[in-house]
Amino acid sequence: MSVDLNNKYGHITISNEVISTIAGGAAVECYGIVGMASKNQIRDGFTEMLRKENFSKGVVVRQEDDNLHIDMYIIVSYGTKISEVAHNVQSQVKYTLNKTVGLSVDSVNIFIQGVRVTSD
Amino acid sequence: MTLQKLDGKTLAEMILQGAHHLNKNSQMIDALNVFPVPDGDTGTNMNLSMTSGAEEVKAVDQNHAGDVSKALAKGLLMGARGNSGVILSQLFRGFSRAIEAKEVLTTKDFSDALQGGVETAYKAVMKPVEGTILTVAKDSAEASVSLAAKESDFLAFIEGVVEEAKSSLKRTPELLPVLKEVGVVDSGGQGLLTIYEGMLANLKGEEMPDIEEVVSMDDMVNAEHHKLAQDFMNTEDIEFGYCTEFMVKFEEDKLAENPYDEDQFRQQLSELGDSLLVVSDEELIKVHVHAEYPGQALSLGQQFGSLVNMKIENMREQHTSIVGEKKNVKKPAKEKAEYGIVTVSMGDGIKKLFESLGATVVIQGGQTMNPSTQDISEAIKQAHANKVFILPNNKNIVMAAEQAAEMAEGEVSVIPSKTIPQGMSALLGYNPEADFETNKDEMTGLLSEVKTGQITYAVRDTQIEGLTIEKGNFMGISEGKISATDKEALATAKTLLNQMIDEDEDEILTILTGEDVDEKDVAELEAYIEDTFEDLEVEIHNGGQPIYPYIFSVE
Repeated sequence: MSVDLNNKYGHITISNEVISTIAGGAAVECYGIVGMASKNQIRDGFTEMLRKENFSKGVVVRQEDDNLHIDMYIIVSYGTKISEVAHNVQSQVKYTLNKTVGLSVDSVNIFIQGVRVTSD
Repeated sequence: MTLQKLDGKTLAEMILQGAHHLNKNSQMIDALNVFPVPDGDTGTNMNLSMTSGAEEVKAVDQNHAGDVSKALAKGLLMGARGNSGVILSQLFRGFSRAIEAKEVLTTKDFSDALQGGVETAYKAVMKPVEGTILTVAKDSAEASVSLAAKESDFLAFIEGVVEEAKSSLKRTPELLPVLKEVGVVDSGGQGLLTIYEGMLANLKGEEMPDIEEVVSMDDMVNAEHHKLAQDFMNTEDIEFGYCTEFMVKFEEDKLAENPYDEDQFRQQLSELGDSLLVVSDEELIKVHVHAEYPGQALSLGQQFGSLVNMKIENMREQHTSIVGEKKNVKKPAKEKAEYGIVTVSMGDGIKKLFESLGATVVIQGGQTMNPSTQDISEAIKQAHANKVFILPNNKNIVMAAEQAAEMAEGEVSVIPSKTIPQGMSALLGYNPEADFETNKDEMTGLLSEVKTGQITYAVRDTQIEGLTIEKGNFMGISEGKISATDKEALATAKTLLNQMIDEDEDEILTILTGEDVDEKDVAELEAYIEDTFEDLEVEIHNGGQPIYPYIFSVE
C-alpha cells in the first residue's frame, strides 16, 4: 500500500515503508522512548528490542478509506510519565510527517509494549 | 558569610524561587519554542510541571534535603507535561536519587546530584538530541564537578553552575540547526537556566528581575523559519478555533450539587476540543483548551464555581494574520484545461500507457464490459476541460461516445478509434498547441495508419471466412476479420503476424500482452519475430488486458 498525492506536474507515490521510517525516526528522537517493539510481542515471548537503525519496525501504517492511521509499538523508560511521553510521540510524529511529506495523519495510536527499568 | 552546608529548608526555598522565576518567564520561553514541534508551549509545560513539583515541596517536612528533593521529583513526575516537562522530571529524579540519604548537602553532593540527574535523563532517551535542555543540563553538571572540587561555598558554586548553563544555552544554536535558522536559543534549555537563576537569586537573597531580552511572538514570526512552520498548517485546518483559558474558583453550594471530579471534567472537556490542560487544587481549577465552542467549556466549568481570569482568542484570525493570508479567501476552483482526452481501456497496463501518452481520463472497459453513455458523460466532466476528445477504442462504444458527446457542454468530439492500437496511434497525433479542428483531423487521419491484430479464444464452435474454429481454440483477428486459428495462442499469433506484416511497408510492431500470458511464450514470440522480420522494430508492453492474450499494432 502507498499514499498517493497529485499536483499539477504529476503524481507522487509514497510507500508505506517511507511513512513508517519517518514516523519511527521522529519517534526515537522523542524523550522517554528507549526502543521500538515488534508488534507480535506475544509470539516473540518477550519484548524484542529492535535496532535503532530499523526505524520502521514497530510502526504500522494503515489506510482506511481516505484516512491515514499509524500504530506505533514502543518501549519507554521507567520513571517517565508514560501518558505524556506517548502524547509527545503522537504530536511529534504528526508534525514531522506533515512537515516532511505533507501528510496529514488522522490518528497516531501508541501501544506501550514495554518499560525498561534502568539500573540506577 | 559563606554557606558550606545546604539544609533542606534552604534547598526548598531555592526550588520555590526557581519555580516562581520560571512561572514569570514562561511566556517568553513559549515564544522561543521551535523544537521539536513549534507549538509554543514549552514554557507553559515546564511551568506546569515545575509548579506541581513545587507544590509537593511545600507540603513536605523540609528538615531533610533528601526528602525535599524527593518531593520535588515526585511532584514533577506527577505533573509532567510535554517533552520538556518529562525531561525536567527525569533530571530531578536522578538528582534526588543521588542525595536521598543526605540531610544536608555539600557542594560535592550537589554536583553529584546534578550529574546523577543528567545520567538518568540521558538513559531515558534512545537518540538524545544535542542543543536542547539535555545539553544545558549536561554542560552545567560537568562544570559543577570541577567547581565543587575547589569551591565549598554554595554561593560561588551555584554562580559558576549558572554561568556555565548560560554559556551552554548560548551554544545551543550551533548544535541544533533549526535554532540557528530562526535565531533563537533552545526553549527547554532556557527554561532550565531560568530555574537555576531563580535558585541562585534565592541564595543571594535577591528578587529576580525578569529576563531582559524578552523575545515577543511578533519578533518570532519575523523569523523566516517560524513562518514556514506556520505555513505547514492551513488556516482551514484548525479544527478547534478558539484558544480558551479560564480558572474556576470553587463555590461550596455549587460543589454540593455537582461534586468535582477532575478526570470526569477533563473527559467532558476533551470532547469539546484539543490541547487540553486541566490543573486543579482545593480552591481552583485551571483550564486551557482549544475548542470550537468556548462557551460550552465555560459552562462546564461554571458548574463548580465562579469563573476568573478568562481569555479567549480566535486562533484562525491569529493564524491568518501570522501567515499573512487574506481573510477567508477560498482557494479558487481549479481552472479548466484547454484540452481533455477521454479514452477507454481494458487492463491496467493499457491504462498506464494511455495516461503516459497524455490521456486525461481513462475509463476501464472494453469488449465485454462496455462503458455506458452515462459513464462517458461523467468522464467528460471529470476531464475538466473546454474541449474534449473521446477515443472509444472499440466499435461497440463509438455510439455511446457519440451520444455522450452530444449531451455534453462545450466542444466534444469523438475520434472513432475501434481498437486499442488505433486509440494509441490517434493520441500520438494530438498536439496541445493546435486548434480543435486541426487536432480532430490529424487524430482521425492516424486511425488508418495503423493495423490492428488481436488474439482471443472462441467461445463456441463456428465456421467463418472459410475457417473451422472449435470452442476453446484461439483466433487471430486482423482488422476485425478472423484470419487464423490454432489450439495454441502462440502459434495463432505467429500465423496472424505472418499475414499482417508487409516487410516493405511496416516498420514498427507493438505488442500488448494480456493478463494471462506466459513470459516464456512472449520471449519465444519475440525471438520468432526477430528471426522472421529482420528490419522490424518490436516493442512489447504489458497491457494486462483480459480476454486478449495479444494485441498487435503494426505501423
